[in-house]
Order: sequence, then structure tokens, then C-alpha cells
Amino acid sequence: MNSKSKVVLSAMLACGLLAGCGSKGDNAQPEAGSSSAPKEEKVSLTFWRNSGNDAENSAYDKLVASFNEAHPNIKVEMSPIPYADYDTKLRTSIASGSPPDIMAVDGPNMASYAQAGALQPLTAYFKKNGNLEDIPKSTIATYTYNNEIYMAPLTESSIALFYNKKMFEAKGIPLPSKNPEEPWTWDQVLDAAKKLNDPAKGVYGIDPAQGFGNAGTAAYFKYPIIWQFGGEIMSPDGTTSKGYLDKPETKKALQFFSDLYNKDKVSSLEYPPDPFPNNQLAMTVDGSWSLGNYADKFPNFKLGEDYDIAPLPKETQQAVANGSWSLAISSKSKNADAAWQFVNWVTGSEGAKTYCSITKDIPARYSVANEFPELGQYPKNIFVVQNQKFGRPRPITPVFPQMSEAVNKMIEEVTIAGRNADAAIADAIKKIDKAYADLPQK
Amino acid sequence: MTSVTAAAESASKTAPSSKKPRRFLRGEEITAWWFVLPSFALLLIFVFYPMLQAFVISFQNYNLVGSTRSFIGLDNYKSLMTDRDFLASLRHSFHFAIVVIPIQTAISLGLALLIQKKFKLTGLFRTLYFIPVVISTAVAATVFKLIYNKEFGILNNVLKTLHLPTTNFLSNPDTAMNGVIMLGIWKGVGFFMIIFLAGLNNIPQDLYEAARVDGATKIQQFFRITLPLLNRTTAFVVIMTTIDAIKLSGLVFVLTSGGPNGATETAVYYIYKMAFQQMQMGYGTAAAFILFAIVLAISLVQMRLFRNAEH
Repeated sequence: MNSKSKVVLSAMLACGLLAGCGSKGDNAQPEAGSSSAPKEEKVSLTFWRNSGNDAENSAYDKLVASFNEAHPNIKVEMSPIPYADYDTKLRTSIASGSPPDIMAVDGPNMASYAQAGALQPLTAYFKKNGNLEDIPKSTIATYTYNNEIYMAPLTESSIALFYNKKMFEAKGIPLPSKNPEEPWTWDQVLDAAKKLNDPAKGVYGIDPAQGFGNAGTAAYFKYPIIWQFGGEIMSPDGTTSKGYLDKPETKKALQFFSDLYNKDKVSSLEYPPDPFPNNQLAMTVDGSWSLGNYADKFPNFKLGEDYDIAPLPKETQQAVANGSWSLAISSKSKNADAAWQFVNWVTGSEGAKTYCSITKDIPARYSVANEFPELGQYPKNIFVVQNQKFGRPRPITPVFPQMSEAVNKMIEEVTIAGRNADAAIADAIKKIDKAYADLPQK
Repeated sequence: MTSVTAAAESASKTAPSSKKPRRFLRGEEITAWWFVLPSFALLLIFVFYPMLQAFVISFQNYNLVGSTRSFIGLDNYKSLMTDRDFLASLRHSFHFAIVVIPIQTAISLGLALLIQKKFKLTGLFRTLYFIPVVISTAVAATVFKLIYNKEFGILNNVLKTLHLPTTNFLSNPDTAMNGVIMLGIWKGVGFFMIIFLAGLNNIPQDLYEAARVDGATKIQQFFRITLPLLNRTTAFVVIMTTIDAIKLSGLVFVLTSGGPNGATETAVYYIYKMAFQQMQMGYGTAAAFILFAIVLAISLVQMRLFRNAEH
């Protein structure tokens, strides 16, 4: 090929590219113009959520269908997305400028989306017809960033100490109280765990925080232990961990947690599948959702006979993390008012009642909680009372994804690799401070 | 589109047209370019443009969901150089590669030699050895997770009956990588076995016949005929295995999620985590370019080595 044909070729390529780009731009403009001025047209809303268990999915199906029926000019199209892909997919869609109108977001991720300007503030909507007084203050605080509410809560979840009653009785250990405000101390728990632990027979004392998984799960299960010892993760304004994560109380909690695995050896880094209902684990910390799961999948493992639940242990104080998956509206949504109608339909009293009657979750609203008398009785009252009295948000900070990863790494380094706690804590603080400094400023 | 055709027409008109055959060739050449153009344009738009864009992003402080980005020069690259986690992830990737490349290549060559001979059950064994390649990574990793389990898994039960000490393979930072390596080899061997088989079938049989007549043993035949003539195939297999090994992420994703304590966090997994979980797109992209440079350098060296060996 001679040089002339090369020139021709590159000219052809350039023309082709330009032509392609040009026509695209021309098409895009009138489209944007026409949709910004809708006239009595049917509004179409996209709604993304992480697909959950069967009950959750059918509850959402029902709510979307009833909404579409009651609102003939609005059509909500729901896309359930597998949990593992959900965050990545949502973030990519926000980054590429085509997010869904309505999205489910996990509580602690709210601030990072809000700080980036991806979410529509809902405070004005809530004041208009969101019935704000019906939601506990601590719950609303979890979804508030820089004085604006960004998400509408539907349910609350909570965790408690599950224990194998028969194992306790066989060893003659007194059972912990069922009163939500009279928890065992961690020393009592450790004492019982030591007596129950029998690794030779494949029985372990306690799984204190659902093993070692991803950073989000770790935050939900492990931060309460730090709080219970009087430690902290971050400053209340969510800007730094210096002076909080390096408190002596935090270090004490970290040491206690590590000792469960390394010194006392009552916990294992790895368990067989479903160790608790299979009598291979004497105590575990698990969520309200497990009650239904055990009843479904392990009908021979009965609450009250084989196992019972008790409030989370404390050291100096009681504490539990709150905040669950909730609904948010995209700041890019062209039909934010319609989107709010849907969000309010789902998370309002009626919607939440429908949802919780199917999923058996703990509702976020007082009025809905009053509709379910079983929430005032054992076992659910433990979750509800703990949540209302001792619930606190995981740090509300725009660097939550980086912060939770750094703290998770710190806990793993100390517990699994036996790294010096001070060095691990210092490293985590450095990472969190850097993440905060790197935040794009507006 | 009309502008392009016009350009093409004018190009063919302005071309020197004194000799007919030359003009014909030119026309044919242009037609050929028309065939190349669509795929080249697609390549340009979907591969090279994103790469260029990514290269630019690697110099930015770019939060995935944030609306602003700012140029920070070489900061991303500089902090990566001292990032304990990134360097550890590179070490893990190389640990995996260094163990997997020789073992996997040797096993796949061995299997290829075994199934090359035509016996009754050759077809069955060819299929059996190839099945792991076809099985989805997620399924294989999930099953291996159960096999490795301490209380429950078949591996530890076998160890127990042999009166060997049992271990919780994937939860111990010292052994977890071996668990990933075993699965990686199990899954990769079949594919390269087929490549080797094709290479073996290309070696003329008369060479072996001549060697037999000269009284060469099987071992001599292997080292003097099979290996040298397989050189090109081996080069391909080694280079592909290296690239695959350093790019490892899917298995880790399902098997260990990078744990315990990051002991199996490979470079690609680290990049994914940075960019999409921690939303630090610029930082993650910079790490990706460092990895790209490393893989490119290794591939170039390997190609040179194998070429030298050929001459």
C-alpha cells in the first residue's frame, strides 16, 4: 500500500466517524426536548431493586401491580437485579448518566450517593404528605445527610444472640434473659462459649459476627461490638476516624474479637453450611430474617425447644446497627413527582403493611408496627425494642464504601493475620482520611 | 455516508491511471479496504477509544458516581507504588502464575500424550478431561468450596482416612492460595490439552518411524522430536497461561472473595474492588495500566525467548 492510499483511508475513517457522531447528536436533541414537556401523557418510571427472597419479590410484585392499577397515567417498570451485581450496575448507570428513576439503596451507601449529587432530596415531599411523625427519629437520622432526607424507609432489620437451648441445658448453663433490656455481658457469653466449645466433635462456641464476608456485612455485624465496648468508628459528622477508631475502647473490642478466634478458640474462621440449626454451633449472632428461614428450611429445629434468642450482649452499653435497604429517587429523574407518588405508595402505611404482612419484616413506621401484635411479643420484641432504644446508624459518611473496606481489612488483619492492633488501626485511619481528602468537591 | 463514497470515488479518480492492471489492483485494494473498514471502525470505537479514555482517567481523581473529576497528574501511580494492598495483590497474582504455568503446562502436555493414541476409550477420556473447561466458573468454584470445607469437605475426609492432619484450606491465609491454584489448574488443563493435541498431531509420524529404526528410546523420541517440534505450540500455551494467570479474578471472586485477610486477592480483583466497590475509578484504572504494562512486558520477553529457541 502506498502513502497516498493511506491518506485516503484515514480520511475515509475520519469522515465515517464524524458522520456517525453527527447524526447521533442530531437525533438526541429533539428527543430530550420533547420528553421534558410531557402533556397528559403516560409517565413511565424505571425502578431498580436488588432481588431478595421469594416473599420480598412477591410483595414488591404486588405493590407495583396495585400502584399501576390505581394510577392509570403512571407506569412503573420494576427490574429486580441479583444482589451480587446490584451495586456495580447501579453505580455504572449513575456514572453513565442514565440511572433508574427510583432505586433501592442500602442505608449506609446513601451518603456517598447523596454527596455525589445522584439522589433527589425528599425532605419537602416528606413534609407535604410523607407523614414524617410516623417514623422513629433515629431511623430518619440514618437516612439524613447534610440536613436533607434522601431515602424513604420501608423496613428495619435487627440482630440478636441466637443460642442452642438443648446444648445449654446439657452443660447446665443458665439461660440468658429474654428481656430486651437485660442482655448478657460479653464476659458471660465468653464463659458459656468456653464450656460449650468442643472442636474435636465439630462443635464451636460462638460465631460473633457472621464470619468474614464483604465489608458491608462486616459493618452491620461488627460495628455493634465496637460500640458495645464504648468504641467508635468515625466522628459524628463522618469526616474522619482519627480520635475515634484509635480510642482505647475500640482497641479493647478489637482485641476481644480477635481473642475469640486466637486465644480462646471458641470461634472458627470457617463453619460447615448452616452450622447453627445443625447443632454445630452453640451461639450465633443473626438477624430477624433468620427466624423465618429456620422455620422454613429446618422445621425440626424449633424456637423455644431447640433454640431461643436473647438481646445482643453488651460490655459497657447496648448497641445495634439500624438502617436497611430503602428507596431513593434519582436526581436525574424527569418525573420526580410521580416517582415520589410511587415511593410513598410503597413505604407509606398501607404499602408497608402489605409488604410486612408478606415478608414478616419489622416495619419502619410506628402505625404499621401497631398493626402487628406479634411485634410486641417474644421473639420479635427483642429486635423491635433493641432497634428503637439502642439502634444507631453505621457512620453516615460519603466515604462509607472506602471506610467500611478499611475497617474490615483492619479487623481481618488483626484477627486472621495476627497483625499488631495499633499498626492496623493507624493504617485504616490513614486510608479513611485519604479517601475523604480525595472526595470530589463541588 | 455520502461524503465517504464521494471521497472513495474521488480517490479512485485521482489515482494514476496510465496502466490498466495497476488501476485494477487499486480498485481491488479499495474493495478490500471497504471490507476491513467496518471491523476496524468497531475496533476503534469499542477498544481503542475506551483504552485511550481509560488512560486519561488514570491521571484523574474520579469518583464513579461523582459528577466532577480533576487532574492530579501522577498521584494515582505514585500512591499505588506504596499501596500495601496493591503490591500484595500483585504478589498474589505472580504467586499464582509462577506455580500454575509450569504445572498446568506439564499436566496438559501429559494428558495430550495420553489421549493422542487411538484406543477404545480415547474419545471418552478426551471428553472427560475437557469437561472442566465447559463447566461454568461459578459452579466449579461453589463445588470446590464444599470440597475444601474443613468439617464437611471430601478433601479433609480423605486426609482423615489417610491419618494426615486436616486443615481449613480456604480460611487459612497460608493455604488459601493453594486452594485457588488447584481449582485453576483443574479448570484450565483441558483447554491447553486440546491445543497440545493439535500440535502433536501436526508432527509427521515418519520422524518417529525413522527414530525407531535408529533405535531411539521413547524418552529420547520425546525430548529430541516431540518437544522441539512442539515449540510453537508450547510458546502459545505458555504465553496464554501467563496472561490468563495474571488476569485471574473470576475464580477468586466466587471461591474466596479475596479472603482470608486478602490472601487470595489478585491484582484484577483488587482493581475491580477499587473501581466498582470503592468507586475510586481513577485509582483503579491506574492500577489496571500498571498491570497492563507488566503483562505486556512479560509477553514480549516470552515471545523473544521462544523465538530465539526456535533458531
